[in-house]
Parts: sequence; structure tokens; C-alpha cells
Amino acid sequence: MATNPMHQFEVYRIGPEIKLGAIDISFTNASLFMVISSLAILLIFNLGSKKNSLLPNKVQLLAELSYSFVSKMISDTAGSKAKPYFAFIFSLFMFVLFCNMFGMIPYAFTVTSHIIVTFILASFIFIGVTIIGFMKHGLGYLKLFVPSGVPAVLLPLIVVIEIISYLSRPVSLSVRLFANMMAGHTMMKVFGGFVISLGIVGGWLPLSFSVALTGLEILVAFLQAYVFAILTCIYLNDALNLHH
Amino acid sequence: MPKDSLKTRLEIAKSKIAEKNPYKDKEPPSSIGTAFKLSTELVSAVVVGTIIGFILDTTFGTKPWLILIFFFVGVVAGIINVFRSAKNMQE
Repeated sequence: MATNPMHQFEVYRIGPEIKLGAIDISFTNASLFMVISSLAILLIFNLGSKKNSLLPNKVQLLAELSYSFVSKMISDTAGSKAKPYFAFIFSLFMFVLFCNMFGMIPYAFTVTSHIIVTFILASFIFIGVTIIGFMKHGLGYLKLFVPSGVPAVLLPLIVVIEIISYLSRPVSLSVRLFANMMAGHTMMKVFGGFVISLGIVGGWLPLSFSVALTGLEILVAFLQAYVFAILTCIYLNDALNLHH
Repeated sequence: MPKDSLKTRLEIAKSKIAEKNPYKDKEPPSSIGTAFKLSTELVSAVVVGTIIGFILDTTFGTKPWLILIFFFVGVVAGIINVFRSAKNMQE
């Protein structure tokens, strides 16, 4: 069937097959859209920071607004100690945002609708935050797993629970982004299929629903990028300012 | 006139306080982030707990028991996660 709603998530090879040992590292449509979003980010921020005029044009305004938005988000959630990590969080937010937004273009591929992409991003953050925590506090970072005021009898159980809760962070972070993007895009395809199958007589209702859903999906695309970045800030805050 | 001088003095005093206060730049986390945390927090902890139980089971050869225990520990961890996020939101 041509209107299979899951067809849009298919990854296929573009160009020749490249093999590195047993690993297939061929260029796919997913990699193509990652490259496109990275290039778009580079282009916008290069153009935006080139002129540096006092009266900004549209591109410069966009670059400056997103800079101050992310900067405020970091200082609100993780405090001034997180300032050195601005570059990482900014590029993370921009990459997720652009991948989500490019996915909204018809016939485009949504990179973030694949769990492997979001999980790699999330585990990168998780490992990085853990390393930062151990670097800042040494072995004292392990106090995160031992809440204060717990009776010694319950301690083994509480420590196991805390470790599981800590390990669940990358899973919840990646599943949230992936599930939101995939569910939204599948729903849009399903309603698009209804328009075709109901024809010119009954197709107007799903069509209007489809239009509304497109607006919602753009909101979700932005919100999920925001949530991804803000949760990174919250985890960074836990690692920088130990307060358990 | 006296009103103006009072205003400027207030401004100066406020900026002095802001300089002294070390907690000035650490506001509580924005509640939007924590609100969206809730949705998947519970499920992910259960999944992680079950996976840990499965791995430990296969290494120690105690097939059904550790996965059962860690499933319930994961449920508890998930509920604690949700509870903490909700508490964060209230502050």
C-alpha cells in the first residue's frame, strides 16, 4: 500500500555502499538530513554574526534571540556554574530543533523519530554529566545515591532504587523525544490517508484536522527540543550543585 | 526631590544586596521542563529495573527471581521519580 503511515520512517542508502570492516557506514537519508540541519545552523549563525550591526537584520535577530534564550534557560536552571557548558547545550538545542523542524517539511525525513539517534544523544549527555559530577566532587558525587536521613536498615534498598532512578534518565530523555516525534508524524500520515480514501465528499473533515495537527506538530517540535535542552540543564545542575 | 533621592538610595541598596547574596543566580528550575518529565519518568525506571534484573539473572543463573525483584524495585524508583518531579514543580 502506498499510504503506509510507517513508510516515512524508512532509512535507505543514498549513493554507494561504504563498509568499515563489518560495519555499514553508508550515507543514508538520515545522515543527509543531519548534514542539512547542521549546515542550516552553520549558515544562519555565520550570516547572523557576520555584520554585527547595532540595528540587527532578521537573520542577526534570529541568532541573537536564540542565543539569549538558551543563555537565560541555562542560568535559570543550572546557575552561573553551568556557563562553560553553554556551547554544548546551545548546539544540542539547535541540532534537535532543526532536525525536528526539517522533519515538518513534506517528503522530508525526521531524524529524531528514530530511537537510536535520540538514545545516542541522551547517553552522550548522561556519560558527560556523570564524568563532570565525578570531576567536580570526586567520590563525593556518590552521595547522590544516598539521601540523607535514611535509616541504615533501608539503605541497601534505597541505594539500589536511587541507582535505577539515575540510570533511567537517558532512557526517559530519549524515549520522550522519539515517541513524540514518531507519534505525531504517524498521526499526520494517517489523517492524510483518510483524506485520500474519503475523496472529495467526506475528505474535508480529516483535511481540516490535518491542518490543525500540522500546527500542533510544529509546537511539539519546538517544545521537545526545549524540553531536551532544559532536562540536560537540570541534570547538569544536579552534577554541579550537589544538594541531596 | 526627596522622593528621587530615596529611589536612588533604594537602587544602590538593592544592588548591594544582590552582590552579597550568593543564591541570586540560582532560581528554581522552570516548571515546564519538570512537567514534561513526568510522562516518561515512570515507564523508563521500570524498563531500566527490568533490564538490570534480566542481566543479573543471566550472569548468576537465578532465572526468574532477580528479574521479578528488580521489576518491583524499578516500579518503586519510577514512583519516586514522579514524586520528586511533582515536588520540584510545587516549589
